[in-house]
Amino acid sequence: MKKIFYVAGREFTSTVTTKGFVFGILVTPLLLGLVIFLMPRYLTKAPPKVEGQVVIIDPTGVVAEPLAAHLRPERFAERREKTKRDLENATSAVFRRQAAALPGAEAAIRQSIDTALGEVPRLQVLPLPGETSVEPEKEALKIALPKPGTGPAPRLAVIVVQPDAVRPAEGTDTFGSYELFVRNKLDDRLVDDLHSGMRDAIVSARLRESGLDPARIKNLTSVQRPGSRTVTAQGERTTNNLINMLLPMAFMILLLMSVLTSGQYLLTSTVEEKSNRVVEVLLSSVSAMELMTGKILGQMAVGLLVLSLYAGLGVIALVSFATLGLIDPLLLVFLLIFYVLTYFTFGSLMAAVGSAVNEMREAQSLMMPIMMVLMIPWVLWLPLSREPNSMLAIVLSFVPPLGNFVMLLRMTSQSPPPMWEAWLSIAVGAAGACAALWFAGKVFRVGMLMYGKPPSFGTLIRWARMS
Amino acid sequence: MGYALVLKNLKKTFGETVAVRDLDLTVPEGALYGVIGPNGAGKTTMIRMILSILFPDHGELTVLGRPSALEAKDRIGYLPEERGLYKKMRVGEFLVYMARLKGLDGNVSQRVKDWLGRVDLADCEQKRCEDLSKGMQQKVQFVAAVIHRPDLLILDEPFGGLDPVNQRSMRDLVLEEHRRGATVLFSTHIMTHAEQLCDHVVMIHRGEKVLDQTMAGIRETFDPHRIVFVPLDPDSDIAKLRAIPGVRSVTPDGSAWDVALDGHANAASVIPALVTAVTPSRVEIRRPTLEDVFVSIVTGDASTAVDDDARLRAALRDGGQEVRR
Repeated sequence: MKKIFYVAGREFTSTVTTKGFVFGILVTPLLLGLVIFLMPRYLTKAPPKVEGQVVIIDPTGVVAEPLAAHLRPERFAERREKTKRDLENATSAVFRRQAAALPGAEAAIRQSIDTALGEVPRLQVLPLPGETSVEPEKEALKIALPKPGTGPAPRLAVIVVQPDAVRPAEGTDTFGSYELFVRNKLDDRLVDDLHSGMRDAIVSARLRESGLDPARIKNLTSVQRPGSRTVTAQGERTTNNLINMLLPMAFMILLLMSVLTSGQYLLTSTVEEKSNRVVEVLLSSVSAMELMTGKILGQMAVGLLVLSLYAGLGVIALVSFATLGLIDPLLLVFLLIFYVLTYFTFGSLMAAVGSAVNEMREAQSLMMPIMMVLMIPWVLWLPLSREPNSMLAIVLSFVPPLGNFVMLLRMTSQSPPPMWEAWLSIAVGAAGACAALWFAGKVFRVGMLMYGKPPSFGTLIRWARMS
Repeated sequence: MGYALVLKNLKKTFGETVAVRDLDLTVPEGALYGVIGPNGAGKTTMIRMILSILFPDHGELTVLGRPSALEAKDRIGYLPEERGLYKKMRVGEFLVYMARLKGLDGNVSQRVKDWLGRVDLADCEQKRCEDLSKGMQQKVQFVAAVIHRPDLLILDEPFGGLDPVNQRSMRDLVLEEHRRGATVLFSTHIMTHAEQLCDHVVMIHRGEKVLDQTMAGIRETFDPHRIVFVPLDPDSDIAKLRAIPGVRSVTPDGSAWDVALDGHANAASVIPALVTAVTPSRVEIRRPTLEDVFVSIVTGDASTAVDDDARLRAALRDGGQEVRR
């Protein structure tokens, strides 16, 4: 028993201390986590207060005034208020109710939206006649910004409207546009505002030119898009498509990723031991079964490390967005259970394959069918997630090793199956894992000392029968 | 005195090929046994069965008084022919791991340090295994086999791939373990190693035991009745030797002459006659080498229809490719 743990310990440390593992598995998600954690904080940093002058050279004579109106501080405030309302609507009712359950969360969201919008820019629009030369005006953009509150307002942008922007040149149908010159490092949100202001100004000028009323056209062409509402026996709620899709997806990816990572490491280390010829020394000290069990357990710990790391990141992300309430902690426990079951099934097969081949290249053909099985839940992803309680879903829940994936998918869906189904699926999964372990044990004992022609799956089964 | 190893009627086949057939062997405690035979003779299969890495098709075996090596694993040290190390592991870590797998507790790393010092690898403890030369790796593997002071030490081709200096130091290490009281069983296809080392030789050919005798016994049984004769003057008349009673033939053998005696003739009486006939610079009784013994056993047995003598000898000498795999 003790020897199994020595084997497992070596397996774990030798995997976890490789550069490949540290960089691929640990550093990448840590960086990702850092980004997830820091992004909201960075995003919500208030944009700098903007004050300055926008020059518009307008040969048409009708664009400058609407632009000036668009860029008035009151209009900025108005638009931001609207964005804020939209944002709040986008975080749907369920989302907000869940979030509100956490103390202070509502206020936090509100505040973050407020700061995201920042202080309204104060811009002076300076219209210049169409014949003004552009180059001298651009010079002012090169002058360094003065300290805020000192000196005259700096020039932030120069807009040059083309003469045919509102009325096409004689004999053509195409309209001209405008050019925008901005100061270095101008806040991109302000640049966006300038563009949308110009767009609005030119469009309404063109409409007016054609004898149409811009306000009326705007009214006629806008239809408000409502969120859909899901009607259930328990009542009516806003449909939350994003969460519906993301949660099962996240759990499946976690499961698949941890199983694949640890399974792959198990395969590699088994093949390595065999091709290194360390295996015979090992087999004189521990039995084949002890060796295999130790290796499987060691790599299971590796998978658990990966799993908890990524799941932990997910939780951090949820905390950072103040939406932890979305996940039932029980689901994490089930994720763990299904990981162990799936890992034992696939891990034993990996160990069997690893023991049978002489080098990694030969493992590929044996891995193919195993990988295909792993891919089935993904192929059936859409039908399963749309109808988590369909006949197909129920039947697949009890087919090891697919059941582990399918059941997890169903449990994270919006209409989870009854608990007895979950436990039955776990029991069937456990039986499948035991069968895979038994098979692997047989193959492992024969395979580890067998060199030569790479075997097929048929040979593996013959070995299992033989020993 | 008990037996460290008792094999009875052991048989193992791989598909069509019979690797070991009807093998009986007893090794007393504390003995130093050499198992010889060309590549593919079945030595490794026998050793793997002794260690319960392979299981015999039928037959019985007792290892250190137990019915299976599995029950005595921690008292056995094994240096396999197909040996390797974890490339990325450090030498010290590897040995500590191997010692732990052999059931050693307590201050294992101190023992590892001591052993590395004994095999002149004290400065390699922190090196990665892949950075060692082949000879150094082999020493590390040997240390892994003996670090737990086994009662039974099994070495499969311990000298393979070593230069003469390292072969010598490996031989000393093996002898040291023998003196400590461990029963040592080693296999080799190079007969001279067995001649130099062991007090008892077991020969295996095509899965069968063809010889099981002490070195002294072998020398007596396989006395070739030959005398090596080197004349002082190379131009001496060798024909005179042929006329001496008891001499069957005289054939050149390099600068020397090989004098074969009749079966009943006594070397003690022939040598004075030889010396009187032609003045020698050297006269000695040829002692049987294991190589000669092996060839004579194998060729003398008609049923084993052996290939040409020279090829077999070559195979024995350098482990060439002659023998089936």
